[in-house]
Amino acid sequence: MNLLAQPVGLPHYLVVSAILFVCGVVCMATKRNMLGVLMGIELVLNGANLNFVAFGSPMLRAGPSDGLGLDGQLIALFVIVLAAAEAAVALAIALNFYHTHATVDVDRGEELKG
Amino acid sequence: MEAINWHGFFFLFFAIVACAFAMAVVVADNIVRMACYLVVSLGAVAGLYFLAQAEFLGAVQLMVYVGGTMVLLVFGVMLTARGPLASMRTGGGQWIMAAIAGGALLAMLLQAAFSVSDWAAPKTIQEQAAVEGSPSARLGLGLMGVRVDQLEQPNLMLRRGMSGHLLAFEIISVHLVVVLVGAAYLARAKRRLDHKQAKDDQRP
Amino acid sequence: MELSETLPLLLGLAWLLPLASFVLIVFFGPRMGRGGYYAAYLATAAIMASFALSVVALAGWLAAHPLTAAAHGAHAAAASAAVSGDWYSLGEFGPLRITIGYYIDSLTLAMFCMVTLVASCIHVYSFGYMHGELSDVIDTLAPLANGQPVRRRGRFCRFFQYLSLFCFSMLGLVVAGNVAMVFVFWELVGICSYLLIGFWHERKSASNAANKAFIVNRVGDFGMIIGLMVLWTGMGTFSFGDYQTVNAKGDTVTKPGIFSQVRPGPNHRLQVPNGMVKMAARREIEKIAAHAPTINGDLPLRRASAAMMTWAAVKKWRAQGYGYGLLVVAGLGIFCGCVGKSAQFPLHVWLPDAMEGPTPVSALIHAATMVAAGVYLVGRFYPVFTPEVLLVIACVGCITLFLAATIALTATDIKRVLAYSTVSQLGFMMLALGLGGWLAGMFHLLTHAFFKSLLFLCSGSVIHSCGTNEMPRMGGLRKKMPYTATTMLIGCLAIAGAGLPGTVVGLSGFFSKDYIVAQDLSFWGANPRLGGPLYCAALIGAGMTAFYMFRLWYMTFAGQPRDEAVHHHAHESPRGMTVPLMILALLAVVAAWNVPGTNFGIEPLLTQAQPAGTAEGLAHGRMWPNVTVPAEHLSHSPAIHARAEWAAFGTALLGFLLATVLYGLRKWDPEDVRRTFAPLHRFLVHKWWFDELYALVFVRPVLRLSGWVAILDKQGLDWLADNSARAVAAVARLDDWIDRIFVDAPVNLTARWTYAFALRLRVLQTGNIRQYVLWLAAGAVALFVLMSLYWNYAVAGI
Repeated sequence: MNLLAQPVGLPHYLVVSAILFVCGVVCMATKRNMLGVLMGIELVLNGANLNFVAFGSPMLRAGPSDGLGLDGQLIALFVIVLAAAEAAVALAIALNFYHTHATVDVDRGEELKG
Repeated sequence: MEAINWHGFFFLFFAIVACAFAMAVVVADNIVRMACYLVVSLGAVAGLYFLAQAEFLGAVQLMVYVGGTMVLLVFGVMLTARGPLASMRTGGGQWIMAAIAGGALLAMLLQAAFSVSDWAAPKTIQEQAAVEGSPSARLGLGLMGVRVDQLEQPNLMLRRGMSGHLLAFEIISVHLVVVLVGAAYLARAKRRLDHKQAKDDQRP
Repeated sequence: MELSETLPLLLGLAWLLPLASFVLIVFFGPRMGRGGYYAAYLATAAIMASFALSVVALAGWLAAHPLTAAAHGAHAAAASAAVSGDWYSLGEFGPLRITIGYYIDSLTLAMFCMVTLVASCIHVYSFGYMHGELSDVIDTLAPLANGQPVRRRGRFCRFFQYLSLFCFSMLGLVVAGNVAMVFVFWELVGICSYLLIGFWHERKSASNAANKAFIVNRVGDFGMIIGLMVLWTGMGTFSFGDYQTVNAKGDTVTKPGIFSQVRPGPNHRLQVPNGMVKMAARREIEKIAAHAPTINGDLPLRRASAAMMTWAAVKKWRAQGYGYGLLVVAGLGIFCGCVGKSAQFPLHVWLPDAMEGPTPVSALIHAATMVAAGVYLVGRFYPVFTPEVLLVIACVGCITLFLAATIALTATDIKRVLAYSTVSQLGFMMLALGLGGWLAGMFHLLTHAFFKSLLFLCSGSVIHSCGTNEMPRMGGLRKKMPYTATTMLIGCLAIAGAGLPGTVVGLSGFFSKDYIVAQDLSFWGANPRLGGPLYCAALIGAGMTAFYMFRLWYMTFAGQPRDEAVHHHAHESPRGMTVPLMILALLAVVAAWNVPGTNFGIEPLLTQAQPAGTAEGLAHGRMWPNVTVPAEHLSHSPAIHARAEWAAFGTALLGFLLATVLYGLRKWDPEDVRRTFAPLHRFLVHKWWFDELYALVFVRPVLRLSGWVAILDKQGLDWLADNSARAVAAVARLDDWIDRIFVDAPVNLTARWTYAFALRLRVLQTGNIRQYVLWLAAGAVALFVLMSLYWNYAVAGI
């Protein structure tokens, strides 16, 4: 296959991260279970992380610009940490929601309906 | 037949696994199955990290994301597992709208990915330049304030601007503490099920 | 104590006692006994006390100024001694001093004694006459709207309250020391007259009569005010006698009063006072002031020199006649007031109607005192009058006496006859005064008071017993009411002037009327052309007086009764009513006599009071130089006096005989006479159509004018007011419409739109988290597209 013969470049990584990102978005948009939404968020974050790593990888560098270099990985590191924190908080919110509404159905949380 | 580009092969493998299981997460109904598929997907992503010469990050991904965050999610699933789990389906119309929005986004992103000439992959396989030093060592030094990859920068001004990421490291640490304390408070045990009582409890 | 202190004290007290009685009866009257019976005692006591004080004052005066025998044929003596001063100063406004002051001479004292004496008799008489007012009264002459006679509470004490007020006012008028005070009390007696005429005010006739009296008096007062104004501006003071003021330097100076200004000493000839001369010669004064010499334009010096030149020129101007017209106007103005008050032609119409009041009122006010106030004022103001004014007074008096006497010939209401008789006698007095007979006029005033009040009280007695005023229903009452008949006979004789000419035997009216006729004759002698008609009219008037008075007596007391019911009901009045009649009858007989052995009598008393300088008569007035007013003492000369005596006696006898033939002996039938002179009779019965004439000339135009004004007000002004209010309301409605449409609507519309928009926007807030995520994604796509379209960045590459 062409892909196998060709060297892997930046676009490949970008495609994968795009797919992950979009899956995450669709998951957020369609899941009624709050934890499903949280999973969608994780997917989004991972897609973005992959993007960062791809741009910071020395191997995939091409062209005069050196890309992000070490910054890419560092950013991805921070994102992972923050994602974990955010997941904790999001879960706390979900539990709170569950306590008040006795369900995790996101559609039940319509108190802000105008 | 040329020699198999093992780099490419593994890339493809991990990429397909990640994408397929991500799509499985979207399609699945059962929340537990979703969690499992997500775990696999995130593991594949860790593999991709390794292939991109970000070994440290891959390790961190496996440890924190897969081992920590996902466990957290599973715990959450288990804690909120009472009540009707299976009957929460979304209607077809919403699927289509989501598909349209997602499709548009995907198209846009792909288009953007392939439009910049600088990002194009090299035409021939070439020896990837070996990276001096281990990336984790460089990361660690960078977190402590030393930019290892910019040490040769002759321009003093530019070098001065390139400080390390010590501050960010500290901030993140404090942030984590705060978040965890806050999360613990938010999720404290209360009497439940009566909406009014729950609201009373929420008053400070 | 000095006379100048005791007299004001005594007379002031006599003046104020009726006022105290008035105030007490106002506050406590209804509580004084049943129906206020004791209020009458209080009022009578007050007025009798006033009489006593007046007599004491008179005695004090006589001690200081002993009377001399009436000086016939000699010039009257020097200036009359008068006590004048102020009791209380009400205010000084620049040169204007308004004070309550007095001017007391023997005329004042005589008037005081007469008024209080007659008032006392009438007060006593009223006890009996007003007896019906002690309980509720059913007044048949005052029907209500449903035809029933009105039933009201009795007003006994109110009658005496008004009587006391009247006495206070009349005495105040007599004692007044300045013209302003005279005017105040002038009006006050007018008010009392109004209140008393309208005493039975439920009767329409009575209330109309009261209005008529007051309004007609007011017409006269209009002229009086003009006279007062001229007096004030011309003389700078209202005071009769000289008065003391403190000038700028602090010294007490004596300023001349009115009398001293018009007749300054030592010869007291009439001259135009300085003030009037200066008033008339204003232009000349301005010229002097403009051309006065100065030194270097020094203003005070110029003023001083102008003043000196003016003062020197005043004599010249007076000789040229400046200010004479003003003096005439002043005199005529004052006389105008007297015309109204004394019911002279043409303002005589109120007095006959004033008979609607109770008879004591008619006796006191409309016979003896109030109507005499006009004559009194003419007598008081005598020094101010010029020959022209005096002639006018005489002519007016003459017309009045003739007019009233003719109407009295045909009147059938007993009180009307007496009312016209009063008017006629007042005409006599005015005639006398106008012809120069000051003494004659004043003498007749005093005697007339006595016999006229006697006549009125007798008629009241008759009315009280018969219940009717109409003489045709009376007759033959002398057997039933002997006292009344006798006293009335004495009264009739007095008014007719019964006496023996050439002797001193005669009733009071004889002497006073003789003086008048004598003065008339003397005037004729001095003014051959003018005096004739006046003399003849006076004689004819005297004759008519005798005729109608005896006609009255015969119709009432003699002959056969014409109405059996009336005759049956008739009875003599109680003692309380007959005793005053007898007193007054006595006075009517003796009033003109001097007390035997002394010089005390009305005549000598009045002679003392003759104003300085007036006894010499007046001549050569500026406007009518041919009029000569002869000196009064000339009429006392035997030639003139004897002729006048016999002439007056002759006409009176003629009148008496005619009346006896027609009404006493019934030789000729009065009805026959009436038929023969039917148109004349109708003319006289309708009082010369005066009331109708006044109604046509004055009343109806005023009513029509007021109708027009009412239309103007109702249609014009009211329409204007209503429609302006409506216009304002319409404008308000328009504003409201504009406000609602153009101001409120946009605001409300904006609010509605905002709300509707917000309502629609609300839809976006679904609360659905998943939708929000979709929107996020869509937004990101859109943003990217926009960026790529407009931002030329290599990333987009489109």
